[in-house]
This record gives sequence, C-alpha cells and structure tokens, in this order.
Amino acid sequence: MSRRADLRQRVAEATRNERVLQAVHQATWRKADAREQSFAALRHADALREKAAQIRRHTLENLPEYLEQFVEKATALGAKVHFAPDGPAACRIITQLAADRGLRLAVKGKSMTSEEIGLNAALEAIGVRVVETDLGEFIVQIDRDRPSHIITPIIHKDRREVADAMARELGCPRTEDPAELTRIARGYLRDIFRRCDLGITGVNFAVAETGTLCLCTNEGNGRMTITRPRVHVALLGIEKIIPRLANLPVFLKLLARSSTGQPMGVYTTLINGPRRPDDPDGPQELHIVLLDNGRSAILKGPLREVLTCVRCGACLNACPAYRNVGGHAYGSVYPGPIGSVVTPLLYGPACDDLARLSSLCGACRVACPVQIDIPALLVALRARAADRQPVGKRLLLSVWRRVMEHPWLYRLGQAVLRHALRDADGGWVRTGRGPLRNWTLVRDLPRPARESFRQLWEARLRDER
Amino acid sequence: MNAEPCERSRHRKTESGPNDLAAFLHRLRAEMVPAERGTALPEVSNAALREVTWEEGLVDRFVTSARAAGAQVRCLAANDWLSAVQEVLRGHGARLVVAAGQAGTALDDDRAAALGNALRATGLSVSTAPNDDVLFACDAAVTGVAAAIAETGTLVCTSGPRSPRGVSLIPPVHIALVDARQIVGDLFDYFARLDPTTLPANINLITGPSKTADIEGILVTGVHGPGIVHALVLHSG
Repeated sequence: MSRRADLRQRVAEATRNERVLQAVHQATWRKADAREQSFAALRHADALREKAAQIRRHTLENLPEYLEQFVEKATALGAKVHFAPDGPAACRIITQLAADRGLRLAVKGKSMTSEEIGLNAALEAIGVRVVETDLGEFIVQIDRDRPSHIITPIIHKDRREVADAMARELGCPRTEDPAELTRIARGYLRDIFRRCDLGITGVNFAVAETGTLCLCTNEGNGRMTITRPRVHVALLGIEKIIPRLANLPVFLKLLARSSTGQPMGVYTTLINGPRRPDDPDGPQELHIVLLDNGRSAILKGPLREVLTCVRCGACLNACPAYRNVGGHAYGSVYPGPIGSVVTPLLYGPACDDLARLSSLCGACRVACPVQIDIPALLVALRARAADRQPVGKRLLLSVWRRVMEHPWLYRLGQAVLRHALRDADGGWVRTGRGPLRNWTLVRDLPRPARESFRQLWEARLRDER
Repeated sequence: MNAEPCERSRHRKTESGPNDLAAFLHRLRAEMVPAERGTALPEVSNAALREVTWEEGLVDRFVTSARAAGAQVRCLAANDWLSAVQEVLRGHGARLVVAAGQAGTALDDDRAAALGNALRATGLSVSTAPNDDVLFACDAAVTGVAAAIAETGTLVCTSGPRSPRGVSLIPPVHIALVDARQIVGDLFDYFARLDPTTLPANINLITGPSKTADIEGILVTGVHGPGIVHALVLHSG
C-alpha cells in the first residue's frame, strides 16, 4: 500500500523540476541517437547481439562450472578470491581487508554493485575516506546527491549545479565551463591518486578461461584506481562471467556503442592478477569479492534472463518513461526499464510496483545489446504483484478477466458503457465518474462510437451476403 | 546509506546459507534445473562477424578510426621516427619526458636509450625508468605498443618490467610508436592472437584520449588519462 504511495510521490517529485526533466530529456535523446547511428554503421549488429545473448545465456546455465574455473584461474594468477553471500558480508570482507592493512584512503572506480551494497558508508564507518573518481560520481559525492543514471550519474544536473557544488565543496573559483570544471576535478583527484592506498572497482566482464577481469572506462579513472593503490579490491557480481577470452570482443563491440555510441570505449583494461614481481607499478594485492546478494535466487527463478544484462544503460536512454521522470523517481540504484526488473528481484516484492513504471512499448528490448525481453519480464513481475493488490482491485481484475473470457459479457459491458457515456460533452468525457474519475483527471476519454466495431463488422458481412 | 524505500523494505536474509564458495557452488549446481541448461556456447571463431574484412588498407583504416577517436596520427618512414618524436615534443613545449622501452615494440630499449640521448642533447630531461615524481610531473611519455587495431583505432599497451602501466596513463601527452606491421584488422583478430597462458598482468586497449561527457553531455578530453594521444605509424623499407 505505502509502496504505491511512495512511487507516486517520487514520480510527482521528480516531475516537479522542469529544468531537471529538460536535461534528462535532451541527454537521453542525444544518447539514443548516438547509439542508433553507431549500430547502423556496424556490419553484423544483429548477429553480434544474438551471439552475445547466447554466450550470456549459456554462461548462466552453466554458472557453477564457470565460476569454479574462474576462481581457479584467478587464484593461480595471484588474486585472492572471497565469496560474499550478501551485501553486508561483502562490506564486512572489504572493511576487514582495509582494517587489517591499515588502509585509510580509498579511491573508487564507478561501480553500481558497490552502490547496491552501500560500500562507501561501511568503509567510512571504520574511518576509511572514500573518494569517487569518475567525474560524475565525484560530483554526486561532493554534492551529497544520488546518481540517476547507471552510465551518466549526473544526467539530472546542469552545469550551474555542478559549478555551485564544486565552488562550495572544493573552495575553487566558480566557473560554469565544463572543460574548466573537469580540469579542477582532475587536479583535485590527482593529489588523491598520489596518496591513496586502496582501490575499489566493479568489473565489466570476468573471463573463466583465464581468470581475467575486464574493466571499461572513458576517463581513465578506472585505470588510475587499479594502478596507484597498493591494494585493489574488485567487486564482482557472480553473473558477470564469460567463458572464453575470445568471447570478450563480442561484448566490447556492443558495450560502448550501446552506452555512448562510441565504437570502442577509451580504456579497456584486462587485469590478470596483481603486479608481477618485476613490474614497476600496479597493486601488490588483488582481491576479488564474488557477490551473490540475491543473484543465485534470480538464477533459479523464471526471470533469470535479467542476469544477462551488461549494464550499458541503453534501455534507460530509450525508455519514454525514464526520459520523462528521470532516474530518481525509481528510488533504486538501478533505474530505468532494467532497473524496474532488477530492483524487485534484488530487494523483494515491496518494489514490484516499479514494473508499472513502463508503457511496455518495447523500446528497451530494441535497444538491448543482449536482447533481453524486458517488457516480458515486466509483465511477469506485474503478474507476480497481482496477488498482492488491494481487495477492491483484485475484485475488479477478476471481473475484467471474466468479461474478457466471455464474448456475451463483453458485448453487454460495451452496451452499458456506451449508454453510461452517451452524453459526453462535445464528443469527449472530461470528468469521469466512479473508477474513471482519477483517469480523467489528466486525460479526456473519447465518447464511444454509436456502433461498435463488432456491430459494423457484422453489418458489413450481412451486406456482402 | 540513503533512505530509499527499496532500501528500507529490503528483507534481510537469515544467514543460514554457507558462507563458503565451494558450498555455495555445490548448492547452486544441485538446485539448477538440468533441463534448463541447454543453450550451447556459440562457436569461438568470430570470422563471420568481422567488421574489417579486407587485408589491405589496414593502415588507412587504423588512421581513420584513431582520428575519429580523437588521436593525432602521422604515417612516416621508420628511419624518421626520432625526428618525428622530437617534432611532436617541441610542438607541446615538453621539457621533462619519459621514454619507456619495451622489447618487441617499435620503441625497444636501444631506441629508448637513443631517444634519451638525442633529447638530452637538445636540453630536455629524460627518464627511461620513471618514479612517481617523474610520472606526475613529466610533460609527455613516449612508448611502443604491443599491437594496434585498425577497426577501432586502438593502441594496445601492456605492462612489463620496463613498461609501467602509469606511462600511458599519467602524463598529459602520450606518444605511441606503431610499427605498421603491428596493425591487426579487427578487434576479433587481436583477441584471437592472445595466448591465454602468457598474459601480462595488465593489457590496456587505448582508443583515443581520455574523455568525459558527464557535464551536460559536452565532450571534454584529458580527465584522468592523457588529453593528447599521438600515434606515429612507422613504415619500414
């Protein structure tokens, strides 16, 4: 009950700020266009997507074997692999690592998984300073805001807000020039990168065959994070495995195109264990924290397809709902169409309502590089939620179902409605009564035609005879 | 962390499950339905999906793609490499330069030493084994590459005893020497050539200068990595 009110309230709040909506709207269109153009220039786009989807499905179906292989290979390369059944366990493992080694200054690459488990707060609670180094995440952090997009965290902010936050928090001269703002952040973070002792990143792909971690970034902050500190902790959701190194380019060709429209991200880094004995730089220790946190339960359920997601963000940019309400309305680390599936599955049925924040238009499915049928998953979640609707609504739905199953009832219903709405003002019903009232608050309902399609069709058949 | 509804309503798992990976995998294997494990791994060969199909014109394709990604590219005769590097460094007014030699690349240890001598003769400071202070203070770094990829205009830099990862990352200008014969056609070709048993600790596929578009979607280069990337493609004979 209260959930429903929460969602409504969040959407209402999100749609109140015209400037934010404008920013989100423009940015998502721009990115969706860039994605479309770059895919149009790709020779075998559909075959690549098919292959990527098949590799991901195969891997998930055989996940225990591939995980085992990955752990064996990564360990042989000198990495230490930990297993965390849930978020709190992962936070415990990482805070313990930091405490044992006396690590005090952590730098972070952008990682949705770390936000999923609330890692920053856990580290700060034991006195470790955590600094986000992706420009967008850095600005989110200093402005005490929340990211609203999985690729572009400050898609909801314009340069004025960024300028205000940086001048206020860093004490730098106020400027609204994006290049200058970026330069200031670079300088500030360079100093941090010289002093940091712990680097935390997510992982884009992990290769079972070799124990390789693959990390994709555009800014180079990911590379800094895995190069400068003496300890690197990689947080790895168990679903991110792919079988072979030769499978990786299939995904690399799709990922950046889907995210930003680039044929290839600027930095794709393959990490094979910590630094070697004669390497001049790189982390002395590499810890891989394998995180379940509800993923194995999803894997065993009917909606496992959602685990093939590569977190590119294309479905967010394509979604008319996301474009019009922005990421914060979803109230989750994972917004947008894929977030509306992932969130209820990770956080429980209390979030099922998110599945309603969609028109099921299918734009997300078209945009998805691994062909996830997001609308079908949303419908399945809606069905799951149906049992927990309020009594009145359940009753209404069961009547609806009965009507749709019996043509004579359907016909009767049509006749009743036609009669009830017969005197609509100028052809439009502007204020409905009863259950229609809310619906007509923001829309007008056209008056039903005098004759239904069925009646017209039957009449036509009669005439032809 | 933040008072999100989903966070609040999250149901805590009672920690009955085993905390240990082997037990977790064992349980997962037992609980997954065998009948639902029928998708075959597609063939590893990606030959049918190649983006770059012609073997000739690899250099042209590399130049086009690297420029599209924002790199500055010049093709020259291999013998002219030294003067070309000097010219680029002069163009940036570089005073402190890192030259990281790596065996098997167009900048091996001998050439790195030769470059060092030539630059010192013109009054520049050069380090072939830079420490942190040098890496953060230098004006440019010169490296070879392990490979280059025509499809995407990508430079591949690997870590090794004489080639720190920071060299292609921390300085504001990165100058990469590419032997034209090192250019492979497709991203698939590069991965097909990798030997899974002898991978260096760090392989960096670098496609253009460091970029962000986080603020209002406006492209800014040189966020954390080099804002300027030069690829000098060397033709021999």
